[in-house]
This record gives sequence, structure tokens and C-alpha cells, in this order.
Amino acid sequence: MPVSRNHRTDKTFFQLESLFKLASVFVLLLWLTGCAQTKLGEVDSVESILPVADSHNLPDVIKTLIKQSDEQYLNLNLPGSLATLERAVRINPRQAEVWSRMAQVYLKQGNLEQAKQHAKRSNSVLKNNTQLKAFNDRIIAATSAEQIN
Amino acid sequence: MTKPKTKPRRKKSRKKKASQSKTRASFREYLFNRYTFAGVILFTLFFASYLFYLNIKITDKMSGRIWSLPSHVYARPLELYQGKHLTVKQLKLELKQLDYSRVTSRPTKTGQYRILNESHFEIISRDFTFWDGEQKSQGIRLSIYNNQLATLHKLYSDETIALFRLEPVKIAGIYPATQQERQLIKLDEVPDDLVLALLAVEDRRFYQHWGIDPRSIIRAMLANVMAGGTVQGGSTLTQQLVKNLFLSPERTLSRKINEALMALLVEINYDKSVILETYINEVYLGQNGAQQIHGFELASQYYFARPLIKLRRDQMALLVGLVKGPSWYAPRRHKKRAVERRNQVLKLMLERGALTQAQLNKYVALDLGLANKPRFSSNRYPALIDLVKRQLNSDYDEDDLRSSGLKVFTSIDPLIQAQAEASVKRVIKRLESANPNAENLQTSLIVASSQQGEIQAMVSDRQPDFSGFNRSLDAVRQIGSLIKPAIFLTALQQPQKYTLASVLEDTPLHIKTSKEVMWSPQNYDKKFSGNVLLHQALEKSRNVPTVRLGLELGLSDISDTLQNLGVTRNIPTYPSMTLGAFSLSPLDVANMYQTFAANGFNVPLKVIREVLNKDAKPLKRYPLKSDKAIDEKAIYLVNHALHRVTQTGTARSLATKLSHSVAGKTGTTDDLRDSWFAGFSDDQLAVVWIGRDDNTSTGLTGSSGALHLWTDFFQHLEAIGDLRSYSLQPPAGINNVWIDGESGGLSEKNCLGAVELPFIQGSEPTEKAACQSAGIIEQIKRFFN
Repeated sequence: MPVSRNHRTDKTFFQLESLFKLASVFVLLLWLTGCAQTKLGEVDSVESILPVADSHNLPDVIKTLIKQSDEQYLNLNLPGSLATLERAVRINPRQAEVWSRMAQVYLKQGNLEQAKQHAKRSNSVLKNNTQLKAFNDRIIAATSAEQIN
Repeated sequence: MTKPKTKPRRKKSRKKKASQSKTRASFREYLFNRYTFAGVILFTLFFASYLFYLNIKITDKMSGRIWSLPSHVYARPLELYQGKHLTVKQLKLELKQLDYSRVTSRPTKTGQYRILNESHFEIISRDFTFWDGEQKSQGIRLSIYNNQLATLHKLYSDETIALFRLEPVKIAGIYPATQQERQLIKLDEVPDDLVLALLAVEDRRFYQHWGIDPRSIIRAMLANVMAGGTVQGGSTLTQQLVKNLFLSPERTLSRKINEALMALLVEINYDKSVILETYINEVYLGQNGAQQIHGFELASQYYFARPLIKLRRDQMALLVGLVKGPSWYAPRRHKKRAVERRNQVLKLMLERGALTQAQLNKYVALDLGLANKPRFSSNRYPALIDLVKRQLNSDYDEDDLRSSGLKVFTSIDPLIQAQAEASVKRVIKRLESANPNAENLQTSLIVASSQQGEIQAMVSDRQPDFSGFNRSLDAVRQIGSLIKPAIFLTALQQPQKYTLASVLEDTPLHIKTSKEVMWSPQNYDKKFSGNVLLHQALEKSRNVPTVRLGLELGLSDISDTLQNLGVTRNIPTYPSMTLGAFSLSPLDVANMYQTFAANGFNVPLKVIREVLNKDAKPLKRYPLKSDKAIDEKAIYLVNHALHRVTQTGTARSLATKLSHSVAGKTGTTDDLRDSWFAGFSDDQLAVVWIGRDDNTSTGLTGSSGALHLWTDFFQHLEAIGDLRSYSLQPPAGINNVWIDGESGGLSEKNCLGAVELPFIQGSEPTEKAACQSAGIIEQIKRFFN
């Protein structure tokens, strides 16, 4: 059965319309992703204010592991960095710096839920370190906002 | 006329007969040739098909995964650092389990250690590939004082080391059905001397023949005839490999023919180096219990506790000598035979130019140099290995586990496991002799690191090494009063309504559960105390106020709290559930109490940390994950009460038996069928269940049964300095207030019966209670508290 010209025009029109809708959704998604990156980027940028292990009164063994983990983190060996921090947690689970760094690694991995939980764990064992508390709170706030988005 | 006629006729008939017989003969010949031809064709076809079949058999096996490699399970590695709680006895046990050799002079080789003055250790570790990379062998020296690692240095140096990780103890193997144990090695990693010795002894013309070597066969036959028995074999390495890989050990002609055919086919299909490498990994070299030792690399570990590459030539000679008869020359049982065989091989090596005469003289004078027999067994900790397998089964199928050569790293701590096993044996025996009704007791003890949720030890039978019903995982029993903290937690999450000082009624209660059934819960002492404060109801484990509170809160809310605490089983919502009349396994209980121990962070208990593949490449990691399931303030209030349970409540015996502070809860079920205790220190959680398999009465309450085992275990941790006090760190938003112990109203420190309790900010009582001054002795006590 031959297809009428009008029918063909209609079909083309609908195809264009669908394409237009898809493109709009794509642009919207890009925009949202951009927003998300900005928020996480803010938290990423506080890396510089993360307390350096050497400046703290940490036991040598924890300092050694934090240093090793930092190197792995900078080399983007994130699972390795987490595994090293877990060794530190096993040695002393009451070191807020270690939990906080784990939060940071999870954040880098894009695991927002675990980033938030580890920042909370850091806060739960924190003793008078306002700088670290502020850092943890920023992770909690940013990840919560991101999860809502 | 007739005669002459007859003669030619005769001639004719003779001729005819001759031609007939000729025809018949040629027909027979024809037939014979035809059948022969057909037979030859058929035979050729059959033979070709058979060769084809054999070829498929060979290539199928040799081009795929030739061997099933068992998976191995490792304990946690022992981390050494200054300040680490460690006794001399524990370090000795760890080194013993690692099969290190104790020496009296300076250690010079890997896997050796020396102890000086019973407190200084010099250790040379072994190479080991961890999940995060390879750690090379290193020499360290350390000292232990007062059950603590005091100093840690590099060996023969003043350089301090902040942290050193010993390789983990191999605690189990998950074996294929054949029970074959092997460690693969590549040909280019095999020492040349070993190859040379092997070829000198087993197959001198390996690189010249095509799988079978007629010259060797004739030589062997002559030698055997001369000797009057079998003294020499004519089999090439290829034939031996074929025999081991594809054929049965029977000595029949058909097996020999198959062996020769397959050897030829193997040589056609594969390069000499592939054949040699396969042989080196396949050859059977000994037996360790049920496990067969295959391949030179594993044999090197088994006999000398070091890799093949690090063996001396005399040690290589011994391994090569074992090929002829691993049982006959078993070096640990038949030392003399083994030495003679080794020396024979060394002489052959001399003949082949692999040794000088001086070297030979030196080597034959040496001892065999065997290491201690490794203790690796498939069943050292049956309950724990069962748990490891079950957790692995969610990611790997059973076949892969038994054949892929996985390396599974766990959190199992052999030192804690040893303590747990000793406590179980000691206390169960003691309970049975002290209580006439307590017999045939069974038990489960689970120990975990409370903050990381890692299982460190588990015992599931009164005989810890018994491999059978795993009570820690499968004994699903009623939990009794262990439910109570969950009910009080549900209440305390509503601070506007409930506090630790809320007054609960402890008076007779009758609940209509169905049309005709009335349930009247009772307290354990069958008495009612009128009114009790909420914290007292938990500390003294009062049943009736708990049921009343539970019904007030709503059973589904309590069920939700249990799920938030990490209980994954379905909980029935009927009134008696408020007294724990539902069943959980000890592991379920451990998961639930872990959330209390970790201040509200629910970390599902796990035992596996990492998995490596057979080439020691990382395969999977099981990271620490936590979920903030419960409000930390409400958890703090419950933990405060759980701590008081161990001071003034049903587990108050702990206050005198332990000098460290802990928290926990007892549990007892109807007719004293189950005796429970779940408790924790700052970094360790332990759950104990004691009961009987036939679910009859044990005659024990939580306090008189399970608590004893729990206490014994923690006393030993305390004795070696490995116990950290439970530190009740109040989160922000908690205020401590003195209240009247009877009415729950506001009171003062100096008032009689006043108790200091924590409150979530804003929930403190406002009404003042009457204050009667406490006596001077009471005031002094409070001052010091």
C-alpha cells in the first residue's frame, strides 16, 4: 500500500519532535550534572585545609599509614588508599583524622553515602578539632544536598 | 574309441578341476585380499579415529585449565608497632603458626628468628604478596615489655620502624575433590640447576626424543634383566607426564600402548618447554595429611619453607630424587634413605657437569636442611572457615572456590581464636561440674572488632575443632532479654516522651492474645516492684515493665528498630516478642549488638577483607562500610544503661571480675533453655550462647551460664593487656542530671537515693523530688565515683 505524502510528513514531524524532546532532556541532565560537579568540587577544594597528619599529635604508626594512604590517593589508587586507612582504623578506631580521610576517598570515588557516613563517624570520635569538624560538616552537607538532588 | 575319448575327458576334467581349484584359490585370494584390504582400511580408520580421540583428550586438558588449584584462606596479618599489646607467648605462637624456625645464633635466612633474654626477638620475614602489593623479606628486631611492643628496629641497625606487617598465617585450604595441593611456577622461574638435575636423573635425552625413546627402553630392559628385577624405567618425562595427567597407574599392555601414543601426540602438539613446565608443576612429591603435594614449587615450600628459587643445589637434588618414590624416600620419615637418594642425584649432577667434585663433597656432608612440617590443614577453624565459604559463595560458585587458586584474606585472629577456644573448653567443663542439671551443654562464642565489624574469632562447638553443626550461624534460638535494649532504644528515640528516668509500672499485667487466651507475663523473680525507672527496668531486666512499654510503643516500631540495628530476619509482631520470644542465631545477635558497640553505626559483620587470584593479583575487596542507623544520643542513653547492667544490674559480677569498664546484657529464655550474654569493650564485641541441642533446660540463666564464659574470655584479654575500657563518650546535646532514684524527679548530688543520669538536652525532668540528705559515707563514695 503506497504511503501518502501527508502521512510521511507527519512521521518526519513526530521524529523531529521526539529528537527535540530527547535533546532537551540531555541538556537538562548536563546542566544538573554541572551543578552537582560544582557542589562536590567545593568539597574537593577543601583538600588544602585538611589537616596534615604530621602537624598533629598522632602516633607514628597512624602517621605512617596516613602518609602512605595520601600517596595512594594522589596516585588515584583509591581502593589502595582506603585499604591503608582501614589498617589505621584497625590499629586505633578512635582517630577522627583517619575516618575523615576515608570520607574524602569515598567522596573522590563518588560514593556519597559512605562519604557522609564516614564523615559522621569522624565527628563521633572527634575531640576539639574545629577545623576537622568543619571539614566533615561540609562533606555531610554537600553529600546530603547532592543526594537530595 | 571310447578309451582315447575317455583319456582326454579325464585330462579335460583334470584340467577343469585344476582350473576350478585355481579359480577357487584366486577367489579365496581375492576374498582374502579384499577382507585384508577392508580390514586394513577399517583398522586404519579405527586407529586414526582413536588417535583423533586421544588428541582431543590431550589438547582439551593441556590447552585449558590443567589443574584445579585449591583456594587458600589466610588469617589477619600481625601488625607490629610500638605500643602494640603483644605478649612474648603470643608472638611465639604467631611465629610457630607461620612455621618460622627458631635459631640460637643470628638468623640469616628468611623464616628464622631468635629470642634473646625472653623479650628481644630478631626475625627475618618472608616475601609475601598482600592485597596492596608485594612486601619483600626484611630483618627486624623488637622487644616486648609489660605485654607491649616496646621497640621496633631494622635488624642489625638502629633505624626504627614505625610499622611492620608479618605475613598472615595460612589457616585453611578449600580443596578440589582430588585433594591436590599445588603452587604453579613458570619454567623461566625454575632454577637451571633443578632442570639439569631432573633431566640427568629422569630423562637425559629429553631434547632428542619424540616422546618415547627406544634407546632408553632397551637400556632399561637390559639393566633390569641384568639386575633380575626392575631397577630402571625407560619412560621419558613426556610419558610420565601423560601417565600422571591422563592414565591410571595400572601396569597393563594397553596402558603402556596408550602412554606411548599419547606421548607422541603431546610432542606433536606442544613445545618441549611447555611439556617440561607442565611436568614440573604436575609431578607428585609427597603427602601432607589428606593433601597431595604436587609440583616442585609447593614441594619446596613443604619441605624447606622457602621458594624453589632460593633452594641450595643439594636441596634441589633431594626434590629431584623424590620423583622416584615420594613415600619411600619421604625425608621426614626416612632420613637415611633420603640422604642416599639425594647423594645419588648429586653424583649424577657431577657427571653432567653441574657440580665440581669439591661442591659434591661439601653437599653430601650437609644435613637435609628440612624446615618444620607445615601445619596448614583444611580444617583448623571449621566454624570460621564455614563462614568464610558462605560469605564467598555470594560472589563465587563452589567450583571456582575449589579450583581457581584464590587467596582469601580474612580478619580471623589466631591469637584471639586460641583464647576463645581455651575459654570455651574451660568454662563449659566448669559449668557442667558446678551445676548438676547442666550436662551435654553446647555453645557458640563470636568475637568481633566492634568498630570495624570484623569477625576475629568464632567457636561453634564445645569441641572447637569439631566440624559439624555450625551453631554460631545455624542455631536459631529464642533470645530472651537480649531484645530489651532494642525496646528501650525505641522509647528513648522519643525524648519528649521517654527518658532513662521515666516511670514504668511493674504491676500484674494480663493481655488477651486471642479470644480465649490470656497472657500474664512474669518477672524472673515472680515478684512485682510497683514502679521502676526505665533505666532500672533494663539494668535489672524486669519483664513486666518492658512488656508494658513495648505494647505502648507498638510492636511494629520495635521490629523496625531491630532492623535498623542490623537484624535481617523477619520478626513476628506478637506481644511475647517483647520478651524475646522469637529466634535469632548468635551471628544475628552479634550483628544487632555491634550497632550498640559502634555507637549507632551499623556495620554488617564480615570476615573477608580481600581476595587475590592465583597470580596474586587483586580480585575483590570487601571494604568497611557503615550506616548511621540510629540516633547517637538515644544509643548513648541505652549504652549508659548497658554499662550499668555490668555495674549494678544482672551482670554486676563483672564489676569485680574485670577492672576495665564494659557494657552488655544477659538473656535467658523459658525453662532456662538458652543462656545468653552479649557485651562489648571499647573495641571488641563478644556474644555467647549456651544451650542444648535438644532444646531442653540447661538449668542456667544468662548470668549463671553465658556470662561466665564471656567473663573468662575477657579476663584473659585483660590479663595480657589487650582490653580497652568501654569509654562512654557523650555526644553533643547530652546533659547529666541528678535525679531521685525512686520518683525520677529532679534531685541533687547530696540527696539520698539520687542517681546521676544522662538526658537528651531538653528532656530533663522538671519536677523536683523531695531531698533527704545522704549519709556522709554515701557522699564520700559519690565523691570518689
